[in-house]
Amino acid sequence: MVDPIPDTGVPQDVAAAELALGLLEGEERGAALRRVLAEPGFAARVEWWRSRLAVLFDLWPEYAAPPHLAARIEASLDGPTTAKTSRFAWPALAAVTSAIAASLLLFVMVRPEPTVPVAQPVPVARASSVLVAMLGDAKSPVAAVYDPANGALRVAAGPGVPNARVAELWVIGGDGVPHSLGLLSGRPTSLAPKGVDRGRIAPGATLAISVEPLGGSPTGLPTGPVVATGVVARV
Amino acid sequence: MAFSNADAARAHLSEVLLRTGQEDREAFRELYSLTSAKLFGITHRICGNAQAAEDVLHEVYLTIWKRAGAWEPGRASPITWLATIARNRAIDWQRAQGVRRTSPLDDAPDIADPGEGAEAGMLASESSRELIECLDGLEPQQRDAIRTAFFDGVTYAELAVKRAVPLGTMKSWVRRGLARLKDCLDG
Repeated sequence: MVDPIPDTGVPQDVAAAELALGLLEGEERGAALRRVLAEPGFAARVEWWRSRLAVLFDLWPEYAAPPHLAARIEASLDGPTTAKTSRFAWPALAAVTSAIAASLLLFVMVRPEPTVPVAQPVPVARASSVLVAMLGDAKSPVAAVYDPANGALRVAAGPGVPNARVAELWVIGGDGVPHSLGLLSGRPTSLAPKGVDRGRIAPGATLAISVEPLGGSPTGLPTGPVVATGVVARV
Repeated sequence: MAFSNADAARAHLSEVLLRTGQEDREAFRELYSLTSAKLFGITHRICGNAQAAEDVLHEVYLTIWKRAGAWEPGRASPITWLATIARNRAIDWQRAQGVRRTSPLDDAPDIADPGEGAEAGMLASESSRELIECLDGLEPQQRDAIRTAFFDGVTYAELAVKRAVPLGTMKSWVRRGLARLKDCLDG
């Protein structure tokens, strides 16, 4: 193929595979994680690689765990760290990539925009900075990033919903009334809220996800269970 | 026959995992007995020592207990879901140590190289065979680097040290390998 591929010219699929395999670290990993959030197409490729590579688990040799471990684990199930925080059907993806989601927020907060390599740290708090909300609990958050500059609201893969249901995103601002921002899917979604709703996505406002019939709430207000909420903050 | 056995095993594991998601302790016990050797194989190889592998495995099963309700049949096979949690946890542990393990493990079982041909035919699923065959088609150093990244949970920098080549060379091997792998899987 191409002779030594420069770092900047890595094809999308190769970059997605690098992240899926866990080859990256430090800033390279941070850049790839930001890209997952920013580009639904890229996130889909990472997921594709993850599922393709997962067949290698078939080859992984078994190795018997020490006999005493089973009892030790079971004894700890009721420990303080095991409190069930949620009975909602979060997607498998969120469960297995919660560490990635957490790093994602960290990187989004540290570096609000994709940057070219520079020697100086990028200033974090600026008037034009993006707004972020983490919906749900710390274990399986759904990240939402709103860029007031272009009106784009990007949301990581939404929570899993039963068949014939859809996840709907709402903003609850100063009026205390939920206003629909659009429907989510199992993949990262980019929404473009209407003008009046844009103004509602402000620091302190609440974003919420409810489970609705296909096509979204028929009433204009949430009709199904609210499965995740988070507060909008400036980063 | 092998196919229906594998399907039956998968269906059973799915059912056990679903019941675990409903906080059924008996199901959790069965889940552990069905999967702990696989998951311990994963944490043991990546962590590189038995004590750490045990501690990580403990954490993995606590995570599974808490999150089993989040597993969705149809999105990922149950064993893939469980194995991914184990691999991710083990990698988190390994990287948190801040120590780069560059020598092979003494006591971890070897992972058979499907390049030798035997396993491909034994794998139950079509997609397993396809990936293995595509890996077989890569140059040896490309295949080795990709397999090592997966099974040892190592980064580019660690791979370069392990194979005693410059980082740029390692990236170049892996990227060409991944591009060829993609072409083969699409083909």
